[in-house]
Amino acid sequence: MATVAITALSKLYDGGGELAVKDLSLTVADGEFMVLLGPSGCGKSSVLRMIAGLEPITSGTVAIDGKVVNEVPAKDRDIAMVFQSYALYPHMDVFNNLAFGLRRRGIAASEIERRVQGAAAKLGLLPFLKRKPHALSGGQRQRVALGRAIVREPKVFLFDEPLSNLDAALRVSTRNELIRQQRELGITAIYVTHDQIEAMTMGHRICIMSKGEVVQIGKPLEVYRNPANTFVARFLGNPPMNLIPVTIQGDARSHQLRFGGTSLAARCWPAERLSRLDGKALLGIRPEDVYEASPRSGDERLVAITGASVVAVEPLGAETLVVLSLPGVSEEVIVRSGRESKLRPGEHATIQLDLGAAHLFDQATTEVIARIDVKREAGWPRTA
Amino acid sequence: MIAPAAKSPAHNWAAHLRRSPLLAFMLIYTVISGGPFLWVAVMSLRTTPEIFASPYALPSRVHWEKFVEAWTKSNYGTYFWNSTIVVVTAVALLTIIGAMVAHCLARYRFRGNRLVRFVILSGLILPPQLMILSLFQILLEYRLYNTLTGLIIVYVAGHLAITVYILEGFFAQIPQDLFDAARLDGYSDLEIFWRITLPIGVPALFTTVTLNFIILWNEFLYAVVLLTEDDKRTLPLGIMHFMGSHQLDVGMLATGLMIAIGPVILLYALFSETMIKGMTAGAVR
Ligand SMILES: Nc1ncnc2c1ncn2[C@@H]1O[C@H](COP(=O)(O)OP(=O)(O)OP(=O)(O)O)[C@@H](O)[C@H]1O
Ligand SMILES: [Mg+2]
Repeated sequence: MATVAITALSKLYDGGGELAVKDLSLTVADGEFMVLLGPSGCGKSSVLRMIAGLEPITSGTVAIDGKVVNEVPAKDRDIAMVFQSYALYPHMDVFNNLAFGLRRRGIAASEIERRVQGAAAKLGLLPFLKRKPHALSGGQRQRVALGRAIVREPKVFLFDEPLSNLDAALRVSTRNELIRQQRELGITAIYVTHDQIEAMTMGHRICIMSKGEVVQIGKPLEVYRNPANTFVARFLGNPPMNLIPVTIQGDARSHQLRFGGTSLAARCWPAERLSRLDGKALLGIRPEDVYEASPRSGDERLVAITGASVVAVEPLGAETLVVLSLPGVSEEVIVRSGRESKLRPGEHATIQLDLGAAHLFDQATTEVIARIDVKREAGWPRTA
Repeated sequence: MIAPAAKSPAHNWAAHLRRSPLLAFMLIYTVISGGPFLWVAVMSLRTTPEIFASPYALPSRVHWEKFVEAWTKSNYGTYFWNSTIVVVTAVALLTIIGAMVAHCLARYRFRGNRLVRFVILSGLILPPQLMILSLFQILLEYRLYNTLTGLIIVYVAGHLAITVYILEGFFAQIPQDLFDAARLDGYSDLEIFWRITLPIGVPALFTTVTLNFIILWNEFLYAVVLLTEDDKRTLPLGIMHFMGSHQLDVGMLATGLMIAIGPVILLYALFSETMIKGMTAGAVR
């Protein structure tokens, strides 16, 4: 049980010209499951390895339970880590792999036996205790790696993409197992992944990183609903959020967003902020907030756009993705439509945008422009 | 590659035919390398007059007593014991020191690690003849000339390069994650060396043990220069000595050689499989 506080952490590798981690600050509460999410090479593993003590810290501090551990060697930090490669000791059987970390800590043999048997039973490893890792399947190895962390009952769990070598079905079941174990033990966990489904489903909070920096921290759905900038907007969500370049016209009192032949009243954003934008912005709207038909006609949030032509249709079974080209708009727009969608490539369609769920981004800084109603979840200023 | 059992005879034939050049090559190689060995083995059981009468004949009567005679008549017991002490000590030191050096070079990036590696590995290319005079001088100064300790030190120094070279290549392939995992499991650097590097490196260690043992067991040049007293001599010198005093007693020489080869064959029989695994480990992984 522990809190992890990272303050202004930076990492510069020898011979690397750029900082791999830049001025990163993050606090993980006791028992919290924090996910670090970001594209490949953004420095996630570097952060984890500095917390573990496997990599020297260039600047900044890592504190566990309020005590700065920068100078504490890895072996004394009481942290357990699950590696992407599992890192099972090839010359030891499963029992000894699990017991290795306990032996060093001077735990009595009977207690070791009890803990290993307990963890093995929980993870379904009892039949394999006498086997060497090379005689296990990928999923079994993964569970041994997880078991090795669990038996230690450490202060902090670190996971570095532990599921990425598993096939899709196993990944889902192991994911659930891992969440269950962490919640049950209540051990603080930091989990690195570049898989957004893992991030959305596992984390109490997620921390989105890009190029060594934190971009946004928050609860998964909060971050999904209120991305801080276009990077988060595009990175979270599959297919990603549509970003439509718009021009802004108007005076200090009311503004219009224009793209193609469409003009929308920009009532959800502060006029004063809009007038500072140089007349240009990006309108972000998730594929599930664009409707193919008119399911809620009469709702003033919905804005109809006619003359969209269908570029491609991808039936996925449960749903259908429709790629559309809007007249006068260079970016294609993706619509998440029902499985019964009848659209075919080459046809024309009318779509509706749910402005109540739209976001506006500053094109220059890529930052989001706060909505007037952002505090009221999915609310709409009916009085405007 | 093992052919599946239910293949047609025609297919089997083709497979055999394709492999025949390889089989022929291996046959010739075996005859060339194994033939002389067998010949010496046969001669070791025959007397010199018998051998001169008919060099290639099989023994008409097996003279086992020649082995006893070779062992007792000259100083063979002493030579054998000296060789055992020198080689076993040198190989043990080489294995431990070499493994530690290789572990450090493969695992740590420290200031000057390239220089250290260069200095150690440059020993690979220095011919022993070049160093023998200076070694002689140094050993004299340190009163190690004509001692087994001196020879052991020279052997360890001389073979460290090849040992480190082989072991480092193997150790460098052990995934870093294993070491990181052991550190997080609470182990110190030295413990990690004993509990991770060494056990995983066993095939490579067998390779260097066998290689060093065979080469040092047969080593002649340093031994002949650095040892002069008869009761300090190692086996290869003993055999030479033996040759001179009996005016090329071919039969006795063959018997002496067979005794000298014994430990090498024993070692090879025990370790060869693991050793080959070690030598090819990089390739198959
Ligand atoms: N030992 C090292 N020496 C030099 N540069 C390194 C080292 N390790 C990582 N880097 C660099 O630091 C940056 C961040 O690497 P890191 O491994 O932390 O990324 P990551 O987010 O974990 O990526 P991935 O998702 O691919 O694992 C990368 O640009 C990488 O090239
Ligand atoms: Mg990584």
